[in-house]
Amino acid sequence: MTTFDVVVVGAGHAGCEAAAACARLRLRTAFVTADAAGTARMSCNPAIGGVAKGHMVREVDALGGVMGFVTDRAGIQFRMLNRGRGPAVWSPRVQCDKARYSLEMAGRLAGLPGLERLTGEVTELRLERGRLAALRLADGRELSCGAAILAPGTFLDGLIHIGSRRLEGGRIGEHAARALGRCLEAIGLELGRLKTGTPPRLHRDSIDWSRLEAQPGDDPPEPISHWSEGPILEQVSCWLTRTNERTHDVIRRNLAHSPLYSGQIRGRGPRHCPSIEDKVVRFPERASHAIFLEPEGIGVPEIYVNGLSSSLPEEVQLELVRSVRGLEQAEMLRPGYAVEYDFVLPHQLRHTLEAKRVPGLFLAGQVCGTSGYEEAAAQGIVAGINAAHRLLGRDPFVLGRDQAYVGVLVDDLVTREHVEPYRMFTSAAEHRLLLRADNADERLAEIGRRVGLLTDEQVERVRAKYAAIAAEERRLGRLWVSLARAAATETHVNGAGSPVTAQIASVEPAPRGDRCGEADDGDGERRGQANDADGGSGDRCSEADDGDGGRGHRCGEDDGHGGSGDRARAEPTHWASAPAAQEARALATIPLPGDARFGAGGSSCALDLLARPGSSYGALAALGVRPLLPRAWGEALEVRVRYRGYIERQRRAALQAQALEGQSLPVALWAEGLNGLSCEAREKLRRRQPETVGQAARIAGVSPSDIAILLVHARRFAAGAS
Amino acid sequence: MLDVDDTIAAIATAPGASGLAVLRLSGPRALAVADAVLEGAPLADAPGHTLHHGWAAAVAEATDRSTAPLPRQRLDEVVAAVFRAPRSYTGEDVVELSCHGGRLSAQRVLAALLAAGARQARPGEFTLRAFLHGRVDLVQAEAVADLIHAETAAAHALALSQLGGELSRRLAALSEALRDSLAEVEARVDFAEDVGGVEVPGHVLESMAAAESALGELLAGAAYARAVREGVRVVLVGRPNAGKSSLFNALLGERRAIVTSDPGTTRDLVSEAIEVAGVRVTLVDTAGLREGGGAAEREGVLRAREALERSAVVLWVVDAAAPLAEEDRQIASSLRGRHVLVALNKRDLPSRVEAADVAALLGGGRAAIVPTSARLGAGVAELLAALAHLLADGSGLGAGVANQRHAEALERARAALGRARAAAAEGWGGEIAALELRDGLRALGEVTGETVEEELLERIFSRFCVGK
Repeated sequence: MTTFDVVVVGAGHAGCEAAAACARLRLRTAFVTADAAGTARMSCNPAIGGVAKGHMVREVDALGGVMGFVTDRAGIQFRMLNRGRGPAVWSPRVQCDKARYSLEMAGRLAGLPGLERLTGEVTELRLERGRLAALRLADGRELSCGAAILAPGTFLDGLIHIGSRRLEGGRIGEHAARALGRCLEAIGLELGRLKTGTPPRLHRDSIDWSRLEAQPGDDPPEPISHWSEGPILEQVSCWLTRTNERTHDVIRRNLAHSPLYSGQIRGRGPRHCPSIEDKVVRFPERASHAIFLEPEGIGVPEIYVNGLSSSLPEEVQLELVRSVRGLEQAEMLRPGYAVEYDFVLPHQLRHTLEAKRVPGLFLAGQVCGTSGYEEAAAQGIVAGINAAHRLLGRDPFVLGRDQAYVGVLVDDLVTREHVEPYRMFTSAAEHRLLLRADNADERLAEIGRRVGLLTDEQVERVRAKYAAIAAEERRLGRLWVSLARAAATETHVNGAGSPVTAQIASVEPAPRGDRCGEADDGDGERRGQANDADGGSGDRCSEADDGDGGRGHRCGEDDGHGGSGDRARAEPTHWASAPAAQEARALATIPLPGDARFGAGGSSCALDLLARPGSSYGALAALGVRPLLPRAWGEALEVRVRYRGYIERQRRAALQAQALEGQSLPVALWAEGLNGLSCEAREKLRRRQPETVGQAARIAGVSPSDIAILLVHARRFAAGAS
Repeated sequence: MLDVDDTIAAIATAPGASGLAVLRLSGPRALAVADAVLEGAPLADAPGHTLHHGWAAAVAEATDRSTAPLPRQRLDEVVAAVFRAPRSYTGEDVVELSCHGGRLSAQRVLAALLAAGARQARPGEFTLRAFLHGRVDLVQAEAVADLIHAETAAAHALALSQLGGELSRRLAALSEALRDSLAEVEARVDFAEDVGGVEVPGHVLESMAAAESALGELLAGAAYARAVREGVRVVLVGRPNAGKSSLFNALLGERRAIVTSDPGTTRDLVSEAIEVAGVRVTLVDTAGLREGGGAAEREGVLRAREALERSAVVLWVVDAAAPLAEEDRQIASSLRGRHVLVALNKRDLPSRVEAADVAALLGGGRAAIVPTSARLGAGVAELLAALAHLLADGSGLGAGVANQRHAEALERARAALGRARAAAAEGWGGEIAALELRDGLRALGEVTGETVEEELLERIFSRFCVGK
């Protein structure tokens, strides 16, 4: 018998994060897969990130996970989605070379000391005194362990459907894990069944690219990881085409052959990722649906047909593909298919992703009822850290709903009812404005460091970044900008007091050290000073500019990061001047409510300008304010300035919610009479057994007065127990 | 969501006429909230267990910066009792305000406290806090749970009765419209690539504006709340010699007149104010209008019509000792669609008219018909009771919001919609409109009992073809 601290079963996106976390926390970790070669396979689309998912990748990365870094190294197209929307919902998405992604991940894991890879199929979970003690493999080997993390993806009784053809397996060409499902049932876990699907893959050379619309990535590409240097591979375009009425006819004629509509599939599929059959049936008025052609890598023939997920018979899939513009001659390398699989109803898990009834057994990924690589990775790192914490005797690692999407994901999984594969949406996060892709490192890096997955040097980098942003905010708070001279250059005086540019005095530090906008009196005086300034302003400016030292200036939320103010690391990306000048002119026309200063020749505090919707940090350049921050940091500054009021509001709401989150409910409470509660609330609470009052309050059917009564019982119980 | 750290307020004495009404404030900001409402007695530094005399005044509403602040309106003379944590009923800072009896003044003071930042307490919430702060013995815990349950059940039953019919339907429609709006906005935020377009499209803005004004109407028609604020006019109509003046005087005799004249009426109309069910009721007697002739008569008819138009309730005095006449038919037809109380007067004489006859004339409406004898003073108490019922029951004054807790929640919903529209107009993104919409729906949910998130995705998926 071989002994490990932790055994991770499955090498998908959840398993890889879990194994990496355990190994990096210096646990002796085994990594068991049925297939010796496959690591972090991207079974479906060739991309990491997307709206809300990209947020989670940034969070996993900020905690010290591996997905973000690997994504950057395998990325062949980088886009920030939702750029036209509010910054809280900007989300990075990276198209990847699939083979490269697997290789990079395998390489990263291979380099971790203490991580041992084994090939085999788990056939038995052995418990001792109710706790997980060992896993037995099909070949008879037994792996003794303190904790196990199961991440079998869609392999629990996986059943693939292509038309009426049925194949056992979790992914095409691979076996299903039948024994493991029986093991989970044997230890008393309740299973459910879900369905997901994938579209066909086409041969690159069979597509008429000239008839398609290109969809290039961002230039320059912005890395998704906080720690990587950005992309290393050649960057490619994706391509857009559309279905048409002929496509829809093919589908309608063949619906009887779709296992979705013939009743052959009983698992519930994700509505956020519908098959083309579903789209055509449910939205008959739509004459066309978008299709994105995405290369699965550099130098490989596979083209992923995003938007054409289907389980129709192979020959029907070919017919419908060929009805689409540009795909008339397309050759299918492999058909799309649907897969049904078992999952563990996740209310049986704690917030640590440990099974409530089996200490030491953790679950992560699709087996918990989620869909998506990112959701899987998020659970992987949570399960990995918690398995380690259990063995190291540390407190459970649980992120709050106001701290991370990762926290929202886990909480939703274990406290809510689920009818379809769970996918993250930004609307799932009630504190959405706090959980942005731009501040994942600010929210989580310190936590990652405490856990032990980040280095001191990494955390220092994060502190320096936010100190620089705070310093820039203070500087802009003291710069007075003349709107009459939109193209003027900045009068900037460096810390030593010598003018850098001093021809046009269109930029002035505010005469007082206070934040502009706070004092509405004396505008006239300020304006006068702003317009006739030359000598003497240098001193004020220099004073204003080295405020990092903390002369009692308000630093707001950033105070916690200290004031090292190491701005040298910030290497400003230079802003394109022509578009910025246009933006600046547009900026000058946006009225600021109640601000009479914005007449011709008026002036304003640079920070006030930045706070207006429609303005941007880059646009300030054309007003003569030289940006000191790199682009991404400047955007982070914009967000915190412009959304300050709303962010504060959400922070207050989060604090209120925390008060309830902090009150724990003992398990034994559920055996009590709980009189006074409504029948519905009592039944739901007993089934879900929430661990805190906050969780109880989120259960549908539990009213505020039920919570009031629950508080009474919890209090009485606690007093009785002590 | 239940919050155990904010400052709550409620009227602590039982509803109904009594010499004093007590309002209780509890929470960390109890003294600050009281100070915002009280004139003459700064409590911030007052020691515990002390009494202070002062005036409760309405908190000046936030006004446009361009206009001067409105003068504060004094509401009532009060005595404030200060209790400091932990030596108070709840274990928190508590202020108890004793004001003059009757719901009217207490309701007004409560409204001012809510405007100053307190939250209306839920049923049993003071007791809950007392318990959580260890002010109630643990042995009593079961009793506390029962109490909260009972109060919740009672409040729920009351709410249900108030939500009956029209109001309930209107709130359901509003909730439906706001959920649709939220789904429209969230779909554009989460599925920008699939749905596209501006995040808060014109039709959503229109829908929010419509909901906002519908809420405004509901609140304006919030019968009890408005009645409490402004009082209700009840006009007496009827044939000459039906006994209007006698009944008018009998009603006044039953209740102390609190105001001697109504400056809004002409000298031809006699009016007096009394208090019924905590509401200031201005009785308007049209007696004498038909006496005399010529120009004066026509003038009188005009005035009677005006009085009728301006009154929320009409008290039709029918001479039961004489058969119904053509004039009664004319009166009845002019009362269609109005809230009508009928006094079947002169019941001390042989009766020539039955309730059914009058009901038939009124077209089978839901008017309460009360036999009276103004001369003997009989039936007057019953008439007042019927009036009180009409005032207290939301359905009596149209689909209004009768409950202060509901009115306050709907007001918050309305304000949130206003902010959502303003944010969209200022160019903020969909996530901001969604934030405000959720606030609005949450407030609405306090009345309807629905939660915001439950079927949001359902709505998005049924409406938009999203996902690849």
